[in-house]
This record gives sequence, C-alpha cells and structure tokens, in this order.
Amino acid sequence: MTTLTFFLLASLLLLAFGIAGMITRRTLVGMLISVELMLNGAGLSIVAAYKSVPAADGALGQLAALFVMGLAAAEATLILAMLLVVQRRFGKVTARDISVLR
Amino acid sequence: MQQDVTQGATTVLEYLAKPLKALQEWLSPVLPGDEWAAYLAFALYVLIIIGGALGAVLSRNLIRAMLGLVMTFLGVAGMYLLLASPFLAFMQLLIYVGAVCVLIFFAVMLTRNTDGGEESRLPSLGQLFYGALAFLAPLAVAGPFIVMHAGRQALETPKTESTASLGAGLLGSYVLPFELISIILLVAMAGAVYLAFRGYAPKRGGEKT
Repeated sequence: MTTLTFFLLASLLLLAFGIAGMITRRTLVGMLISVELMLNGAGLSIVAAYKSVPAADGALGQLAALFVMGLAAAEATLILAMLLVVQRRFGKVTARDISVLR
Repeated sequence: MQQDVTQGATTVLEYLAKPLKALQEWLSPVLPGDEWAAYLAFALYVLIIIGGALGAVLSRNLIRAMLGLVMTFLGVAGMYLLLASPFLAFMQLLIYVGAVCVLIFFAVMLTRNTDGGEESRLPSLGQLFYGALAFLAPLAVAGPFIVMHAGRQALETPKTESTASLGAGLLGSYVLPFELISIILLVAMAGAVYLAFRGYAPKRGGEKT
C-alpha cells in the first residue's frame, strides 16, 4: 500500500458520492452539485497519479487538473443558463417533469 | 522584513514544539516513521471530504448542500497541498470555491429551490435503494482493483514544480489545449448569455421562443 492507493481511494469515494447524489437528487441543481463532486474526484486522481509515478512529469498532471477545472467552470456556467430556461419554460427544475424536447 | 518573518516563524515553531512532540509520541504506535504529520493531515482531509460530501448529497436544503460542497472543495485543496502542488490548491480555492460555488448559489436562488422547495422531502425508498446501490457499485468495482494493484515499495516524495514551469508548459508544449479551453470557456459564456436573454428579446412578429 503506497500513498497513491490512499489518494486513489479518496477520489473513488468522491466519485461514489457524486453518483449516489445523481440518483437521489430530484432537481437539476442538486445534480449539478453531484457533478462537481465527481469532477473534483477526477482532478484529484489525475494529480495523485502523475505525482506518484516517478517517470511521469508532475507539471503535466497539474496542467491536466487545471483543464478539468476550466471545463467544470464552463459546464457550471452553461448549466446555470439552462436552468434559467427550464425554470421559465416549465416553472420547476425537477428532472421528472421535464419530458418534452420542444 | 524577511528577517522578521523568519524570526516569527521560528518563534511559532518553538512555541509548538512541545505539543507537537507529545502528539507524535502519542501517535507513534499507530503512525511510525517521519511522515506521521502527513498521514495525520491526510486523515483530517479525508474526514473533511467525507463530511462535506455527505452534506452535499444528503442535505434536504440545497444551500446547505452547497456548503457541504465547499467543505469538500477545501478538503481536496488540502489533498493538493499534500501532493506538493500548492499552485493547484490555490486554483482550487479560486475557481471552485470562488466561481463555481457562486454559480451554484445563483442557480439555487434563481430557481427558488431553497428551504421548502422540491428537495425538502426525503427521497422515496426505491430512490434511496438505488442511491445506495450507486454508491456501492463504483467502490465494489474499482476499490478492490486499486488495492490489488497497489505498489509494493514506497514511492518517493513528490517534488514541487515551480509555477514558472507550469506557465512554460501552458505556453509551450501544451499551447493547443490551453487555447482550446479558452475557446470552450468563451463559447460556454456566449451560449449562456444567449440562452438566458433569449426569452426577453423584443418580439418582432416571430414566434416567441
């Protein structure tokens, strides 16, 4: 058991919490929160793997995690706008009630 | 100025030396070796992450769920510090706690999903069952895999890369992904503004969107 194992288990825990939140949350806002949990786990595992393997370039892992953060920011922005549209259109943002595409 | 700071740090360390020594002796049966402080910090960050994630997933109030998410972000920032990436920990605070959380706060407020909203009821029994299943499935699939493939010998301590080398990578070998992520951010922002203001545009005979 090396330190890499512990870090990977921590990020796996984040992924599990995120998926469980995706299932149990009713509204799109709660799902957005769960997605952010999962993305955090992804970034953590990338950095842990790059930092722990001696042959890998540690700076590259940090850059990859930075890209994950940028994608998360873009995704949160877009989802905020989508939530506004859904709220205006349907009056609520529960996943169950949004069943028409047009 | 530099002298003062160094002197202050030394004084603080001297002041803390005795309790730290006692803590190390108390922990020595469990955490041998020189890295006891790192293991202690890791355990603390894991506790913070688990507590925050529990709040984010289970809280019936979305604002409280967001606060749990902030807690998780802070724990992950601590993990980045342990992995010798202080710049990344700083970016985690700046981007996630600073920007993403404000966006989620806006999302909660603009959809009026605070206390007494749609999330305030407990999920149904079936939903809870599938939630528990979804929590256990990745642990059961990937957990044994990670533990079985754990390395035998200890890895070397990660080294801190300078922020300058990160910047050199962003503008050198990896300039294409850097530009791509800029374009993605720009397109996402433009799309968000378009989506948000579309319904409010003055009608000119066309159908209302």
